Parts: sequence; structure tokens; C-alpha cells
Amino acid sequence: MFVVYVFRGVLIHSTLGCLTICSLSCTVSSIPCWQLKQVREENRKVVENYTSERTMRKKYYNMVEDMKGKIRVFCRIRPMSRTEAAQGGAIAVGRLDDYSVTVETSRGPREFQFDRVFSGESSQEDVFQDTNRLIQSAIDGFNVCIFAYGQTGSGKTFTMVGDRDQRSPGIMPRAFNAVFDILQENATKFDFKVSVYMLELYNDRLQDLFVSGAEAQSRRVEIKRNRKGLVFAQGAETKEASSAGELFAMFQQACANRHNAATKMNVESSRSHLIIGIMVESRNLTNGSVSFGKLSLVDLAGSERAAKTGAKDDQLKEANSINKSLSALGDVISALSSDLPHIPYRNSKLTQIMQDSLGGNAKTLMVVNVSPSDCNLDETLTSLIYATRVKTITNIAQRNLESKEIAQLKEVIMKLRSGQPVEDEEV
Amino acid sequence: MASTYSHEWRAVCDKFNNAQDLSEVESRKDPENDPFRSKYKARELLREIYCSLKNFDVDSPAGSRAAKLGAVEYYLGVNHVETEELSAGEEHLMNCMTLLEKCSISPENVSLFIQVRNQLGILWAGRDEIEKAQGFLETAEAMYIRYMKEDGQPPMDLTEFFVAEEEALPQQERTKRFEMAYTHTLYYLAQVYKNLEQYEKAGGYCHSTLQRQLEFNQFLPLEWAINAATLSQYYITKTLYMEGRHCLSAASVIADLAGEVPSEAAAQESEAEAEKRDQLRQKRAEIARCWIKYCLNLLQDAKKLLEDNIGELDMDRQAELRATRLKEEEEKERGRKSAVLFGSSDTFDSICGLEEKVSCVFPVDFEEARAIFLVGQTYVNQAKEYFEMDGHVTDHIEILQDHSALFKALAFFEEDLERRCKMHKRRVDMMEPICKDLNAQYYLLVCRQLQFELAETYYEMMDLKLAVANKQDDLDAHTVKKFNHLCSSSTKFYQMFLDSVRSPEGKWPEKLEDEVLRPALVAKFRVARLHSRLISSSKTIQLENLNRSLECYNFVVQYCKDNPEAKSAIETELELSEEMVSLLPLKINRLQANLASSN
Repeated sequence: MFVVYVFRGVLIHSTLGCLTICSLSCTVSSIPCWQLKQVREENRKVVENYTSERTMRKKYYNMVEDMKGKIRVFCRIRPMSRTEAAQGGAIAVGRLDDYSVTVETSRGPREFQFDRVFSGESSQEDVFQDTNRLIQSAIDGFNVCIFAYGQTGSGKTFTMVGDRDQRSPGIMPRAFNAVFDILQENATKFDFKVSVYMLELYNDRLQDLFVSGAEAQSRRVEIKRNRKGLVFAQGAETKEASSAGELFAMFQQACANRHNAATKMNVESSRSHLIIGIMVESRNLTNGSVSFGKLSLVDLAGSERAAKTGAKDDQLKEANSINKSLSALGDVISALSSDLPHIPYRNSKLTQIMQDSLGGNAKTLMVVNVSPSDCNLDETLTSLIYATRVKTITNIAQRNLESKEIAQLKEVIMKLRSGQPVEDEEV
Repeated sequence: MASTYSHEWRAVCDKFNNAQDLSEVESRKDPENDPFRSKYKARELLREIYCSLKNFDVDSPAGSRAAKLGAVEYYLGVNHVETEELSAGEEHLMNCMTLLEKCSISPENVSLFIQVRNQLGILWAGRDEIEKAQGFLETAEAMYIRYMKEDGQPPMDLTEFFVAEEEALPQQERTKRFEMAYTHTLYYLAQVYKNLEQYEKAGGYCHSTLQRQLEFNQFLPLEWAINAATLSQYYITKTLYMEGRHCLSAASVIADLAGEVPSEAAAQESEAEAEKRDQLRQKRAEIARCWIKYCLNLLQDAKKLLEDNIGELDMDRQAELRATRLKEEEEKERGRKSAVLFGSSDTFDSICGLEEKVSCVFPVDFEEARAIFLVGQTYVNQAKEYFEMDGHVTDHIEILQDHSALFKALAFFEEDLERRCKMHKRRVDMMEPICKDLNAQYYLLVCRQLQFELAETYYEMMDLKLAVANKQDDLDAHTVKKFNHLCSSSTKFYQMFLDSVRSPEGKWPEKLEDEVLRPALVAKFRVARLHSRLISSSKTIQLENLNRSLECYNFVVQYCKDNPEAKSAIETELELSEEMVSLLPLKINRLQANLASSN
């Protein structure tokens, strides 16, 4: 059975998807051959126009979204695995065009819109091409976050890290190179300093991946931000890197310290979230101004455990028989009204960490990885998207009240109009 | 009943205990590659129990036998659901329902009646059939209510179908388990109504669930407290301040039950203590923030009721509110008795004690407003202890903004203009250093908020200074200087806000984004106004200021001409700007002529 998730408010925009082109050719048996041909030709054109129009619409929509700087979502469908092929599983998830995916569900096909869709044929280079400009943003002083999301075995780690021998490296190692390539290009104009921390979030606990064994256990790590916007991992080591190679070596060391060994279900992936923060401090050599940018790269753990315990949005959450927790109560209460003055919830460390990368003027890219024969995305998605809700800038300015000032000005206008003398300070 | 004591019956009971143990305890240790091993073993045992029951026990009363079989079906159903075999689970649960049809509700089986419906509710909700789930759960609810009305003695627990008589549970334990099952019914109903978007109903069920958790001592203090605090925020949006205050008082009292905050030294010693320290401090600070919002909203809502069309205290409205308040108070007193109150016997007094510390009715005068303000300020200080600037930048600033808003609301009630001005000065003092210190790139949103608020506060102070001077009827050099300083400060912050809208290259966007559209145009409008209000004895400077003012008015008019869709966002200001654009040049010309002739 398929579980299908709708990305509330973020992705759905096209109603055109429901539109079907009527096939005209089946009722034309009495029509002469040349006419039939003509109709067929017209029909083909209609379909063609429709397709290109649809593609254009989506493209423009994406451009607009992009300008707004909201979270962008890519979808990557991996090829069938050998096991899946051997089991004779049908392909249920397909790429319609560059922007949409169709999923065969028990209730018929459903279409999902994304900012970009990659199929099994897309290479690592293809995926990275679209992420490259985000790295430029990080160097320009923005808070950029790229993360992969999806079920265990859907290809997250392949997307983010790559294969084990690094024959087709993923976003992380490519980003290391890209950062230093861009820095090189600008070396005459800027003075750069690159530093990095690498953390693992395992069982809601942050662990420094630069230290190993018992020492790592005893350290308490927290991610914080200071007033200059600098992100720092309190209690974790931050190392400076002077080249892509150095950065990659650190990455390999960090990977070796991860909780990989414990996982039995999927050899390649793990239960832990990998969080890499690359901070770029740049000093403009001409005017001396300093800016800080940060690139967060996150490989999220698989979500199949959550699915097992019933984390789907509309499902009722059961009372926990072990402790006295009625965990869903908080979710229900916070959903009662969309304008609660204060929501005291901080669901998990992960949301807390990601929140910084999602709100305000951050630029975020999420790669949703799906297996072609399955599709299962859990609540983290909902809560992450929830975290992107933009807040209004100034409530005060939103009000259109007959304020004192407007009343005063109206008086001034009256006087000016009737030619009465107006004191200078009253204008 | 002889069979109850027979050897076979003993074997059945042992098997059942085994199955329970496998399902509840052993299953937690199952390996990840065989996650349901113990559940499957438990299922086998349950099946064996079912067969045994079918074979003997024929001589016991029909109802009791059916209920027993129903209980096994129930456990089998739950077992299948837990192992993700939903259709099989449904079948067993429906078998249980069928068996129960033969029985009338009694203390022996009422628990089963309710729990099987709870399970079916969950099952159908999982299949996106919320209405079906709702049906089962609402029936369960009705059954509980009827049973408690008609019978009410502590009913047997499900597990008691399979224990020897001497091992029967004590009354107290029976009550606890039965009430817990019903609490779960309400908990599921809360979720059902949320999914059906019946939020008011969902809120009511959340409230009852919380109340029952407390009453039957089935809660985790911090989780409970945070839920109650969140619920208070819902009541605030509905202007139900009595309910909101009750939730918050309960939240504070219950959060204290979670224990003492470990000392910093203890936290350094062990990770567990550090975690506990952080959790307790964080949650308590969160509850304090909910209190701040309570105080702030109460003041702001009162202000809305009392202000006239230019935002000043309206005496007539004040008298009116006083009168209606008196009437309402009596009604509330009566309503209170029927409201759903929180508290177990040992917490009820402390909850009421805390409630008495702050009013839940709209303040009508400065004294009353001040009392609420002071409570809010205490919570501001409490919240800031945890949400320090370093590490919790966004939270810290949000709290400061609330503090500033508290002052602003209080100032409304202050009649003395000088003192009112001082309150605004306090707002400036707390926001200005932070606004200057923040990295505008990372905290763009916060910076804009602060800039805008600072600009408005300076504007307010400028108006107050002028009003004071007008009263005294003397505009000495010192006052003029002060006035001009406030005027330029306001302009400066509006300008900073406007600059934040520009591109990194300093270019003004052709089209303003939705969320800055109105603020930016309002800021331009205000800057126009501010320029023309600067006092100068030099005609040249006057002329310069007026020209700048005209420029800004022109900007607003021109922008709306180029982007007609912006008009609706700024109607009043646009209208006035248009007038000024036509009238101001006349004045400028006159001044110019004046200047020329005097030269």
C-alpha cells in the first residue's frame, strides 16, 4: 500500500495536472481519410502545446518561488535496485517532466510538483549543477542548508555523500571542491577563512565526529548562534581547512567515527543524522568589510522506524503504554489556531537545528529521495515545512487605523487647501 | 464456576500472563531485523488460549463466556494491528464486537466495550476514514458516560478475565485503569476533531484529557505543563482570559513538580544532570513566555476596547467598560463553578493561589494596567535568564520585543505625558543597542522589526514632547533641539529599514515583496511627514526639508501608479500623499518667493 503525502502549501500549485486532452480520433470513422489526418495532426499539436505550456508555467512558478527565497525541493527517483527487480516489483513512481512526479496509489495516480525532478538516469553531476549556485550564496554571507530526505534505502546517502569508493561522489565532496574553487577565483578581492565542524545526531544527542570513542561520549555539544549570526557548535571542535583535500580528509575521519556499524537493515546507510557545517569568513580586501556565511550539509537518517510506529499525519497517535506520555496532545493544541501568540514546542533537536537554516533569510534546498517502487515520507517533513512559516515583519505597520498622525495630517491638508496660514512645524 | 479453578484454567491464565509479558516487555528487546518476534510468539499463545476457551468453560454463563472470548479476540486484534496486519486485526476486533453484542454492559465487560472501540477508532483513522473512527470513539464516550451514571462501581480490567479470583485487582487499580482507557478515548477524539478541523471541539477534548491526566495522576509533569501552557495560548486568541490564566497557573505549578533544577556544578559533573538542568530551565522559561503573552494580550485587548479613533484613552468607553465588567464578573463567578478545572487534591490550592496573583479581566485604568504589567515584567526577567542573548539570539530578542510591547501598552493608560514619554524611552533603551549590534544579514527579519519599532517609538516620543511643550505654551531652544533630535532619530530608523529593502548594490527594487510592501510604503510616508516637521529658523533649511518631504510623498504616489495592485495596501496614506503632492508645491513656491524677496 502506498502512503502519499501532500506537501502542504509549499509545492502544490498546478491545477492543470487534472486537465485531460480529449482524444478526438475515436469517433471519426465516417470522416474521410484526409480529414482524419488533419484532426490527428491538430490533436498532436494541442498535446504538444499543452505540454510546453505546462512546463513553462511550472518554470515561471519556480522562478518566482526562487526569488522569494523560500525552501526549494528537488525530488530524486533512484533506479530499481537488483533486489527490487528480482522481486518483480512494479515501478510506481515516475518522472513526468522536469517538475513533476506521478505516483500510482491504491486510489489511482497522484501527481506531485517539485522545483526539479531527477530520474534514475540523472547523474551526480546533474544533481549538483543545480546546487552549485547555493554554494556561491554561502560564500556571499548567507545561511545555506542542503539536505537529503527519504526512506532508508531511497538513496539519501548516495545523493549527499556518494558511493563508497567515491567513484561517483555526492553533494558533500563536490561542495568541498566547489567552495574552494570559488574562493580561488576571488582570492584577489577577498581574504577567506574556512572552518568546519562535523556532528552526528544520534538518539537526539549531538556528538562531535572529530573526536572518537569515550571522549566523544563525555562531551556535551549544542548548536548555537551569536548576535553576529555566527553559528557555533558549543563543546564541539571546529577545525580550519585550507584546501578541498584537507576538508575531505576531515570528512573521511568523521565518517569513520559514525554509528554505522550498529545498523543491520541497510548496510550503506545509518540511523544517525550527519551534520556538516562549513563556515566561510571573508574579508573584503578593498574596504575591509567582513561577512560570515555558512553552508550546512545534512544527511538525514532513514524514516522507516517512524513509519512503523504510525507517524503519518492523519493517523491517530496512540497513547504510549510504557510511559504516561500522550505525545500528540501538543500537536493537536498547537493546531487549534494558526495564530497562537507563543508556541512553546521544540519537538526535537533536529528541528531545532534545522530551524536556523529554514527561517528568515536562509536559503534551503531539500532533496527528497524516493525509491521507484515505494514512497514513504514521514512527519519530519511536515514539521520541517512547518518551521519555514514566515513571520510578518511589522504588525504595527499592518494596521490601517485612523492614527493620530493621519488625523493631524488631514488637518494640515484642510488648512493648506483653504489657504490658511500653516505653522512651519505643522506641515 | 468449578472450571475456573481447574488445572486447565490455571494453564490458560499462565499462558495469558506469558503472552502479556512477551507483548509488552520482551518485544522491546527484539532485534531490528526481526522486530515482531515476541509479538508473534504472543499471538501463538493467544490462539491457544482461544482454542482452550472454546473447548471448556461451556457451563459458565453465556455472557461471561462470550466476554472472555471477546477479550481474546481483542488481544489478537491488537496484536495483528501492532504487527502491521491491519485487515486481520480488524477482523478480530470485529469478532470481539459481535461477541459483545450478546452481552449487556456490566462491570465485568464495560472496559472491553470501550477499549475495543478505542482500537477500532485508531485503526480506521489510520485508513483515512476519520468519520468511521469518530463513530466508534463517540460510542465509547457515550458508553462511559452512561455506565458512570447508571452503575459507577470500579469495573474489572481486561486482564482480570484471565486471573484467578484471589489475584483480582484492588478497587483503586481497577478505577485507575478504567479511567485511563476513557482518557485515551478523549485523547483520540481530540485528534479526530483536529483532523476534521473542528478546532473548538478539539480544544475542549484536549482540555478534558489534560484534566483527567492530572486527576488520575497519569502524566509527565513537563509534558503536561507545556501542553497546558500551549492551551492557554489558544484561550488567549479567543479572549478567554479566565481559562487562559487557569491553564498557565496549572502549568507553572505542575512544572514545579518535575523537581529542582540541578546546579551548574552538578551539571558539569554528569551529562544526565546537564540534560535535566537544560530541560527544566528551558520548559520553565517557555511557560514564562506564555505568561508574558497572557499579560501583553490582556493589556492590548483592553487598549483596543478603550481607545478612541486616534489611539487615546476614551473616557466614555472607560466608564462603559467599568460597568459591563461589573456585570460580567458576577456572571463569570457563576460560570466558573461549571468550568473544567485542573488540579488534584494536592495541587488545587497552589493553582488557585497562583491565579490570584494576576487579574483575568480587562484593566480600565493605570493602576490595574500596571499590576498586570508588573507580572508580565517579572516573567520577562525569568524568561531572559534562560534565553540569554548569546546562543538564543532570536528568542532573546522576541522576549525583549514583548517587554517593549508591555511598556507600550502600559503607556496608553498613563495620563501624565512626561511619564508616558519616559516609558517609551525605556523601549528605545532596550532595543537600540541590540539593533545596532545585530548582523543584519543573518537576522534580517528581526533587524527590520527592530528598526521599524524604534522609528515608531521615536515618533511617539516626538509627538509627546510637542504636546508637553504646547501645554506649557513655550517652545524654547532646548525643547526645539530635543524635538528635532527625536524627529531625526525616527527618520534614521525608517531610513535604515528602507535601506534593508534595497539590493546589495543599493538599488531600490522595482517591485516590493508582499511582506515589505506596506511597511516600506508606510515608512516612506512617515519619512515625508518627518522631514516637514523638523523645526528650523533658517528658510533655506526649511525649503530643503520641504523638498525632501515632497520627494517622499511623490515616491509613494509614483510607486502606486506603477504598481496599481499596491493601492489597496496603503489606501489612506496614498490618498493623503496625493493631496500633499498637489498642495506642498504651493507652499514651497511661496517659501521660495519669500526667500528671494528677502535676499
